Amino acid sequence: MGNIRIIGPRNSGKTTYLAALAYQPNKDKRKHKYLQVQALNDDTRLLADKAESIILQGASLEPSITHFRTIYDMPVYSFNIEIKHFLRKENIMLVVRDYPGEIFDDLENGTSNKLSKEFIDECLAQDVSGCLILLSEWKHGTDKSYSRILDQFIQLINRADRGKDLRLAVVMGKCERGELWPGRLDPEIDLFDIHLPETKSILKRGILHTNLHFYASSTFGVLGRNDPRPNRIEEWGTDGRNSVLREPERWRPYGLLSPLYWLSTGKKMGFDI
Amino acid sequence: MGVVYIGDRSAGKTHLAMELANPKSEHVEVLSPDYEQLKRILVGDDITQGPKPTEAKASVYECRLDIQVRLPTGKKPVIVDWIDTPGEVWRSNWQMNNLDEWNRFLKTIRQSEGILLIIPPHRGLNFQSGVDVEQFMSQQQWCNRFDRWVEFFRQDCSKTRHIVICLNKADLFCNLEEEAARLVYNPYGSGMTWQQRHTYVLQRYFRPIQPQLEKINQSISGLAVRCCITSVYNRSLLEIPWIYLGSFLTN
Repeated sequence: MGNIRIIGPRNSGKTTYLAALAYQPNKDKRKHKYLQVQALNDDTRLLADKAESIILQGASLEPSITHFRTIYDMPVYSFNIEIKHFLRKENIMLVVRDYPGEIFDDLENGTSNKLSKEFIDECLAQDVSGCLILLSEWKHGTDKSYSRILDQFIQLINRADRGKDLRLAVVMGKCERGELWPGRLDPEIDLFDIHLPETKSILKRGILHTNLHFYASSTFGVLGRNDPRPNRIEEWGTDGRNSVLREPERWRPYGLLSPLYWLSTGKKMGFDI
Repeated sequence: MGVVYIGDRSAGKTHLAMELANPKSEHVEVLSPDYEQLKRILVGDDITQGPKPTEAKASVYECRLDIQVRLPTGKKPVIVDWIDTPGEVWRSNWQMNNLDEWNRFLKTIRQSEGILLIIPPHRGLNFQSGVDVEQFMSQQQWCNRFDRWVEFFRQDCSKTRHIVICLNKADLFCNLEEEAARLVYNPYGSGMTWQQRHTYVLQRYFRPIQPQLEKINQSISGLAVRCCITSVYNRSLLEIPWIYLGSFLTN
C-alpha cells in the first residue's frame, strides 16, 4: 500500500489532480480497459462527486482551507488501482492526502506555526512511502522561491532520518499550457532544466538519485490529439486564477498516475492516464 | 453554515422565496416548508394578493428550508438558513436602533458559506414596452447602491466562499424564454458551463458594475462571484443560483 502525501504552492491544483484521478473523466475510452480506479472511502467518493458536479460543469473546486484544528480534520483519499498488463493484473492501493498550499509556502520562512509543523511531521512519518511535489509556475523569481522552499524541505527530510527511503516525485503540473506541453515527454530535461534549473539542482544535490524523479502532468489536458490548445481557461476569482474546463466533454487528463505509481511501487509505468 | 439570502428593498426576495417552493420544480425542490405553508407565512391570509413588502418594523425574518438539488451525481439535500430582511436593515439608522438584531444578523452572515444577493433592475436596461421605468433606480443610482454592497462584502463577509448575485425581474428587461433556453442547466447535455453562463450574464447585464465585482473577488480569498438573472416567471432561471450553490454546499 502506498501512503503518499501531496504538497505544492497554493493554486497548483493538488485537490483537482486527485479529483480527476477519483472521477476518471475518460474512463470509457479504449485505453482505460487496462486501468480501473476504484474509490475506497467516503472522502474519495465525495471528491469524485465534486469532480462531476463542479469541475465537469465548468466551475473550480474551492481552495483547501487551513482553518481546521488538526491535520486529522483533513480528508484522506484512498484508491484501489487495477492495472492490466499483458498476462497479469496488478493491484495497488494508494492512500493520499493533499496539504493546503499554505503549508508549502510556510516552508520558505521555516515552519514556525504549530499546524505547519504537524503537517510536516505527518508528511515525513515512517509509514509515508513518498511525497509528490506539485509545482505549477516558472515565472521570474519562482525558481528561486521553489529552490529555497525545497532546500528547507530537504533539511527537514534529513532531520527526520528519511533521506534514504523517502521518494520524491517532482511534478510540473498544468502542462497543457503551450509553453510546457511539448516538453512533457522528457520533463526533467525539457521542463525542469529549462524553466526551474535551480530547483532541479537543489533536489539533485540533496536527494538520492534513486529516490527522485521528475514528471509532467495535466489535470485538464488539451483539446485533442491534433488540437493541442489547453482544455482549460482561467476565469476571474481571487488573483484571477481560477482554472475551469474549457470543453468538459473533451476532458482528458495527462500523466496523473505515473508519479503516484512510482511513489508507491518504485517502478515506472508503461502507460498513463 | 448555510446560505444567507439578502437583497435590496423591493428587489423581489419574498416572491422568489415563495416561488422556489412551488411544486412544479425541475432540479430544485423545497421539501419543507411546503409551498402553501410558505405562501401563508410570506403573503399572509389574503393569498389572492401578491407578496407584500417586508415591513421595516418587522424583525429579521428567519426561515429554515430543506432543499433538495438534483445534481449529476444524484439528489443532494441542502439545508438553507434563509434570512429575509426588511430593506431598511441596510440603513445605518436602522442598524443603530436595532443593534442586537443587526449584530445577530452579522453573526449569521459571517458564519454562512454562501450568500445569495437579489438586486432589482435599473433604468439603463432595455425594458419591455409598457414597463413603468420610473419605479426603478437610474443606472448611476444602482451603481452607487452597489458600492454599499461591495463595502458590506469586503468588511463583513471575508469568510464567505460563494456569492451569487441575481438581477431579478428578468421578465421586464429580456426575452425570458430565449435567455432561459440559453442559460438552462442541463447536466447531461451540451449546455453552458458555469463559467460560460456567468460570463454571458456578466457581459450582458452586469457590465456597469464589473469593476466593483472584480473588487469583491480580489478582496475575499478563494471567492468567485457569480452573476445570474432570475424571474418568478421562469423556473429554469429561478433555480440556477440554487443549483450552483447546491453543487458546493451539499455536505
